[in-house]
Amino acid sequence: MTHGDGTAVSSPADEVGTPGLTRRGLAAAAVGSVGTAVVGATAGEAAAGRRYRPRRYRATKIPGSATRHALTRFSYGWTPQLQRQVAKAGGFNRWFDRQLSGSYSDGWYRTTADWWPTTNASRDRLVGMVDSGALSSFWQVDINYQRWVLARRTRSHRQVQELMAEFWEHHFHIPAQGLVGPYRVSYGKKLRSLALGRFDALLPAAVLHPAMALYLSNANSSRSAPNEDLGRELLELHTVGRGNYTERDVRDSARLLTGYRVDKWRTWRYTYDTAHHWTGRVSIVGFTHPNAAPDGRDALRAYLRHLAHHPATARRIAHKLAVRFISDDPPASVVDMLTRVYLANDTRIAPVLRALVRSPAFRSARMRKVRTPDEDLVATYRALNARLQRPRGNSAAADGIVWQARTLGNMPYEWGSPDGRPDTADAWSSTARFLGSLDVHYMMCGGWWPNEHIAYRRRRAWLPRKSLRFAKFVDHLSRRMLGRSSTSTMLQAACEATGCQPWTVITPDHRVMKWELPRLLTVFLDSPYHMKR
Amino acid sequence: MSHETTDHATDHATDNATGDACGCPEYAALSRRGLLRGTLLAGGVAGASASAMFGSAFMETSYAATRSAPRVLVVLSMRGAVDGMSLVVPHGDPVYAKARPRIAIPGESLLAANGFFGLHPEMAPLLPLWQSGKVAAVHATGLPVPNRSHFAAMEEVEDADPGTTRRVGWLNRLVGRDSYEHPLQAIQLGAAAPPTSLIGPSHVAAVQQIKDMKLSGHDKWDTKNRRPRSMNTMWRRTGGPLGAGARRALRAVDDFAPVRNGAATPRNGASYPGNSSLGDALAAAARTIRGDVGAEVITIDHGSWDHHDNLGTLAWGQMQSMTREFSQALAAFFTDLGGLASKVTVVTLSEFGRRTRENANYGLDHGHGNVMLLLGAGVKGGYYGTWPGLTNTADADLLVTTDYRSVLAEVITQRLGASPAAVFPRFSPTPVGAVLSR
Repeated sequence: MTHGDGTAVSSPADEVGTPGLTRRGLAAAAVGSVGTAVVGATAGEAAAGRRYRPRRYRATKIPGSATRHALTRFSYGWTPQLQRQVAKAGGFNRWFDRQLSGSYSDGWYRTTADWWPTTNASRDRLVGMVDSGALSSFWQVDINYQRWVLARRTRSHRQVQELMAEFWEHHFHIPAQGLVGPYRVSYGKKLRSLALGRFDALLPAAVLHPAMALYLSNANSSRSAPNEDLGRELLELHTVGRGNYTERDVRDSARLLTGYRVDKWRTWRYTYDTAHHWTGRVSIVGFTHPNAAPDGRDALRAYLRHLAHHPATARRIAHKLAVRFISDDPPASVVDMLTRVYLANDTRIAPVLRALVRSPAFRSARMRKVRTPDEDLVATYRALNARLQRPRGNSAAADGIVWQARTLGNMPYEWGSPDGRPDTADAWSSTARFLGSLDVHYMMCGGWWPNEHIAYRRRRAWLPRKSLRFAKFVDHLSRRMLGRSSTSTMLQAACEATGCQPWTVITPDHRVMKWELPRLLTVFLDSPYHMKR
Repeated sequence: MSHETTDHATDHATDNATGDACGCPEYAALSRRGLLRGTLLAGGVAGASASAMFGSAFMETSYAATRSAPRVLVVLSMRGAVDGMSLVVPHGDPVYAKARPRIAIPGESLLAANGFFGLHPEMAPLLPLWQSGKVAAVHATGLPVPNRSHFAAMEEVEDADPGTTRRVGWLNRLVGRDSYEHPLQAIQLGAAAPPTSLIGPSHVAAVQQIKDMKLSGHDKWDTKNRRPRSMNTMWRRTGGPLGAGARRALRAVDDFAPVRNGAATPRNGASYPGNSSLGDALAAAARTIRGDVGAEVITIDHGSWDHHDNLGTLAWGQMQSMTREFSQALAAFFTDLGGLASKVTVVTLSEFGRRTRENANYGLDHGHGNVMLLLGAGVKGGYYGTWPGLTNTADADLLVTTDYRSVLAEVITQRLGASPAAVFPRFSPTPVGAVLSR
């Protein structure tokens, strides 16, 4: 066969062509700018649709679409193991209740905590490690923490608790960048332990934690010159939000927060010193207190309780949960409903989450969220069933996983400002993120990096039978990795990626199984079905 | 390549009228660039390419699909709100030293001082540029209405279109002012998440590191361009920001080759500060400009400059060390650019300034007015702005006498020939005088 310009084609069977798709057809299929969903199908595309009609490989079980949707929102990625856990619980709602009540084993959390010497070390021990030079700085402690949270998410049986721990750690964001001495790990652990409880317990735990005192300058604040940093962010970020407080509120908020101290030069001890506490009447977003006692902690706790129960706080938390679990622009009605549930339940989180998963807005929001970089990464481990092992030596996967997150565009809790990383598609759809995702997916599909102290599936294990047609193989892989049956687009992309045809027979000796499996596997991860949730 | 088994079994229901596995010749003959252009072009410039097959490798001559950017604007955001009065010190205002008994910078240590202003001594690396008239400082600039929330102020500064709720950044409007559309026309360097200023309908790119701008799997073994082809198929119809981003990435990655293939070593003996994200990003900016891929706008984020405590003095603290890094990196950038510096203008920007009076922690709380720096091509060096005079009360900050948009409007008008009305709707700029006329 020759082309118009007289050049020879190597091997017809290797060319994946689309009958009838000409240059003109390509131009007609050109895609416009932002937000284009569907363009008119050309004759060529219709032909492609017929050619790439997906086949079904029903032996590989998948959940119903509603369950899959709920699980991609409330886990770090669907897996067959997760499906079994759900089936055993008797369906998603029962599984969700068991997740919320902490009924599943937390063994993986404890196992992985042992992987790094800094994770369970006491404050004094960490300070000693840095003072003695065993660690160059607290940044090393924090980077181990970032590794640990990723490792935890890959295989925890308590997916909802891990998700909510992450949610609150972004809400009360403190960068894990060595900025808060020995306190970042204990801060994360504290929030995780309260993640499924009540907001009026979470708020004081976060705001009065030494990590927060250090990050937002409260440990330096004093009665003579109250530092505004924490007083402001407590109102703007942690509770009532923009537009619901005044500069005067900020000033009194800062005053009431005075009195805490951290010995940053020696022991890192966290204390309350009445000599530094500003006394006098405060009035902040409807909270008033004489604040006459030298020790202002009771007044401060009353203030935090007031903030936790404030309707503006309820709305802010409701909206943030809706953005996390429903869509970037959730309907006002669902936010209203969640606000009411929050207030009616005395700031308890579980009833709000239950109401959220039962809402029509949630059920209809399928594939509306773009996975954040670290979510994509963990979902990739889960889809490939790549299992981290205790890190030993310098290039273990459990250590390298943070550099993978960096390639994707965001290490956990790396975000530089106290608002935490954004959670919208706009932020995570850039060229850098897309190409970074593709790079991490492909390296893992090949098992090339990370490749130490990690167990990948044997390549042969991906083939469910000794012999099957490519279209069925594609369907099996889609079911196995994404929990859904294949589409015509997936099949076409898989054919194009490998040079196979839908009817090509795949055996263990086929070149795809011998050499090119990574090029095939990555197609599924490099798809909207994996990069969105 | 082994030969495919292509038997047509009974369960194969495809309508395969042609009976062979090869598609149309035009399709197969499209080179990778041509293929990407053909599938992804959203109007604007069509890239034509002629390809010939030698063995199984494409040798292609490609007509550049990116146009050259005759002038480049680099917007450096000093995140967290830098204290402009420490960078460009109003030593002639008696309140300055009184309000800052411990952190005020003594007048005699200032650089390039006139009777009223002087530069932080750690800005020494920028002194040669200053002395050649290539640096302007516009003081008491900012948002027209004070806003002490980092996040609200940042949104407002970068959206620069008060009165609408549409989230479109001013730089996105700037690059969208003509019919040319290419993701490489505006690039965020050093971070994967684009700033608000770039968000919007016009195509933009984000690049963390130059080496990351590659399509993985499209390597020397991918002689048949299977990887880009399958990805184009996969993302052809996906809606929403991620679909658009994917298509832009697939388009941008190809045209970024001149940058990716350019030498990584800085030119002209430029020496960027070590272990500095700002230095890395500016070095990448110089490489990007040298690659001539049509980047008219480059954005870089640097910070945090949110110095509520330990802003410090000349001897210690965050201000002196960060100002040193900032100045070294910018000086190296202009050295690195060499002759290309004649087309590059840098603007620095913060969400707001800081309070006049120091706090108890050798720091400063959130304020209002701030300094903007302009460096490089077309800049008329010196100190600009109307000084409002400082007041020494607990809550006082520097008032804003020049809307930050007036400064930006002057830059985009004189340097890029843009119309301020399209970029800053419902705003009439007042002249600043810090940029030479075209």
